Amino acid sequence: MSIWEKMTSLPREIVMGLVLIAMIIPAMNPLGLPLFTGDMSRAWYNTVDALPAGSVVLFDVGYGSGGYPSLGPGNIAAFHQMFEKDLKIVMMATALEGSMMYPLVMEGVKPEQNYGAVYGEDYVFLGYIAGGQTAMAGVLGDLKALVSVDYEGTSVDSLSIMDNVNGADDFDLVAYMTTAGGTAEGWVYQAYSQYNADVLGGCLSMMTTSIKPYYDSGQILGIMDGIKGAADLEFLTGHPGDAIVSSDILSFTQALVLIFILIGNVSFWMTRGKGEAS
Amino acid sequence: MVSVDPQIWIAAFFTIAATSYAFRDNVVFKFAENTFIGVAAGHTIVMGVKNIRDYGWTHIMQGEMIYSVAFLLGILLYARFHRDYYWLYRYPIAFLVGNGIGISIRAAIHSDFIVQVAATASPLIKSDALGTVNALITFVGVVTSISHFIFTQEKIHEGAIGIVPKIGRWMMLLAFGASFGNTVMSRFGMYQGRIIFLLREWLQII
Amino acid sequence: MDYRRDIPLAITFLIGIIAVLDYYTGVQVITDTFTLIKNWGVVIQGFALGLGAVNLLRVHGKRISQRSGGTDWMFSGWLLLMMAMFIVVGLGTGQYDAGPTYSWIYNAIYLPLGATMYSSLAFYMAYGSYKVLRARNFDAALLFITAVLVIMGNTPALAATFPGLFYTREWIFGPIVSGAYRGIRIGIGMGAVVLGIRTLLGMETGYLGRR
Repeated sequence: MSIWEKMTSLPREIVMGLVLIAMIIPAMNPLGLPLFTGDMSRAWYNTVDALPAGSVVLFDVGYGSGGYPSLGPGNIAAFHQMFEKDLKIVMMATALEGSMMYPLVMEGVKPEQNYGAVYGEDYVFLGYIAGGQTAMAGVLGDLKALVSVDYEGTSVDSLSIMDNVNGADDFDLVAYMTTAGGTAEGWVYQAYSQYNADVLGGCLSMMTTSIKPYYDSGQILGIMDGIKGAADLEFLTGHPGDAIVSSDILSFTQALVLIFILIGNVSFWMTRGKGEAS
Repeated sequence: MVSVDPQIWIAAFFTIAATSYAFRDNVVFKFAENTFIGVAAGHTIVMGVKNIRDYGWTHIMQGEMIYSVAFLLGILLYARFHRDYYWLYRYPIAFLVGNGIGISIRAAIHSDFIVQVAATASPLIKSDALGTVNALITFVGVVTSISHFIFTQEKIHEGAIGIVPKIGRWMMLLAFGASFGNTVMSRFGMYQGRIIFLLREWLQII
Repeated sequence: MDYRRDIPLAITFLIGIIAVLDYYTGVQVITDTFTLIKNWGVVIQGFALGLGAVNLLRVHGKRISQRSGGTDWMFSGWLLLMMAMFIVVGLGTGQYDAGPTYSWIYNAIYLPLGATMYSSLAFYMAYGSYKVLRARNFDAALLFITAVLVIMGNTPALAATFPGLFYTREWIFGPIVSGAYRGIRIGIGMGAVVLGIRTLLGMETGYLGRR
């Protein structure tokens, strides 16, 4: 067996083991590389930045444990910006685990401690609402006909933030972060098409290409593109966190993937005609 | 200094157990897999009951007895497990399907069709040369990729005109390549969270 | 009239039409009716969340009672125990997902498992890139080129050294991705609308089940 034939069939364990090592090394020794921010993340940041203080944002925590490493840091950075701008945030969850992500995100933002925000006055969490687009349409249509208590069972009538919030017309911005394709397009359907609302969308990087047409046509004003978008938001808002740390890990792992792609292709072409790697 | 918090230790164990499958199937992974399915189902039940309480039961408690219809329909869903009365579950399913389709198609026509066509039909000549080139590529991409999916007219895929859907396929392959590239980043972006957890929360070495 | 089939089809049509009329007419009585329908929908979806668990209970309960699949029945027992633990803690405390004990078990068990199960595909992405992403022919080469360029642009160390890679990645996400995916999006839109109309009119009945 020639060297090229060996190179084209490296054992799975070796490839995966090297990937694991490539994740651990940069996590222990961060490089602190400069960051280029993308257009879509800047558009997200600028949209929020343009809102006057006191504007009300409807925010969907539409992800769970699987999406938290990618979207959680971006969610924290986004909330930092919103609380700094003194915006009011009405949160809900269209994901089953969204209500479990809420305390994790709030632990990272610490709105009371950092911004003097008060629960019920400056922000509220309505909890998980089942039904996907039905839940979105319900909240945007007649919120109080659907929701009467918040996540902890407190009546929404007793929360001052909800005094003038009844539906889509009372939200200045609708934003979401999700791992579900149906949720990503659902908010465009329900908020933009139905009410012409301003919408921001956060999603996993692998979903970005499919919701990009909405961004190009102005239906979504900004996209937080997974871990890359999260790192951009952390940089733009001046709150570095796990996403920027992840940039170094991505440098190592993706460079390794590129090396494997190179090895795979060179060895494929060198062994072509010998019935190898068909 | 390694963490002494039992919660962190349990989480670290399950992280390693779930990762172990990537290298080889094993009994520890099987244990983790069954645990995952069990807790996911348990969590789903809890959220389901809470949902019924918050958005259904509270209304009934406020005297809106009409919500008992929703309860009846919800209970009928479970008729699907009955040998003779399984057909009763079709009533709530029909309700959900009608509601789901009604809610989505009314907006899909606007979001996915009207607005997208309008965006494509915008002027191709822009103020700068790159903008014009980009607009042209986008226009060609839209028209040709749609033509690739026209199956009712087979002739469009043959002869000289066949180049149009072929360009569409090439455009889509280029776009799928971008999608693949982003998927690589996405998966690593997700797993690095577990690495950071193991090193920072569990082993406490970063 | 077959009440097992025709009434469900009529329900689908009626509910769907009310939703569509609400969008296009904005008549108050229709809007109010549709608000009630949406709220019912949320409640029924809440009930639907239990269907999977009941199915799990049936399958694994049977496996335990028959002691089938070698030692698999023990795993089934463990699965049901974990399910029961979450239900007891969640419902027993009356605090559901907002309780501290529930949070504790979620963060100890569900969070790491959920995060790892989904993300461990990263290893397969790496291996798949090595074994499958090959420029074997013209079509594969097209996919290969943008995949490699996007991965390079997404790699912060490379983008920092060669900024052109980052801008190339940004450009690919411009006209290339926008053009192709907008075409796909228009196709999806048309397909969804046609399928929706067919379902509302009772021409698609798959959701009623086969029995």
